[in-house]
Amino acid sequence: MRVSIEQIDRQGEEELIVRCHDPGAAWVEIVREAASGLQTVCCWQEDMLRRLKLSDVFYFEVVDERSFVYTQTEVFEAKEKLYEFEGLCAGSALFRCSKSMILNAEKIDYVRPSLSGWFEAVLSNGEKVVVSRKYVADLKRMLGVQG
Amino acid sequence: MGIVTRWIRRYVTVYGIIMLCTFLMCLLFNPAAELPVVTFFGRIMMFALIALLSLSVYSSRDELTVKAWWVRTLLHLLLLEAVLLPLAHFWGFWQGGRDILIYALFILLAKALWHLVDYSLNARTAAQINERIRKKRLERRTGEE
Repeated sequence: MRVSIEQIDRQGEEELIVRCHDPGAAWVEIVREAASGLQTVCCWQEDMLRRLKLSDVFYFEVVDERSFVYTQTEVFEAKEKLYEFEGLCAGSALFRCSKSMILNAEKIDYVRPSLSGWFEAVLSNGEKVVVSRKYVADLKRMLGVQG
Repeated sequence: MGIVTRWIRRYVTVYGIIMLCTFLMCLLFNPAAELPVVTFFGRIMMFALIALLSLSVYSSRDELTVKAWWVRTLLHLLLLEAVLLPLAHFWGFWQGGRDILIYALFILLAKALWHLVDYSLNARTAAQINERIRKKRLERRTGEE
């Protein structure tokens, strides 16, 4: 595999592009994890500013125009809007799973369908979240599921 | 999958379900029925188109809650019965009081089959996703060892 590294000036935004045959391949996952491990998000918990690694985030959710960041056991509040989170998460394991939520695919234990067309994702901490049918294709693409 | 492909697939599924229900209905209640092929298939195609268009009841700018989904499912059923029953009567598919009841029940059966097919497709997707998650977890565990 060819590895290209291009040095850019300080003004340019650093970017990682992965060209691969299988987006779900193990090495792509490693790159994705490393990249999201480097990325952080600032959030608040009882007037204390905390910096969280993206890889520790289970999901982002917007409720009544307030943004929340959920980790395994804690909930934080953030200033960013959902589309800002979406930009921040591009290329990572986080994907839009519904109109108001961005979910970390790495934290999904399993998914199950519902009669109403939704998918329910059970996370590794036992929490259950809804994945809208509209966004299931993104999850499949991210995991490298064919068809 | 493109939106056009998705709707074509839906149309074919609805058409298949209506054909299956028609077969069962004729088998159980009128096995000696003779139908003009072109007219009959054309009418079934029209039924399928109406049924497909009626799915717009589910369209919403916001994601539907479980309660909203059930409300719309009931509305959809009422809409199907309200449109398909008079049309079927107009085309001579049913005549008397007993026929309308049978026809209404078969519309309900067709709708239930539609949801069953939809659920099976989603179950297959969920199985594919779960299999991939399981494999990735195994790969990661093997890598760590």
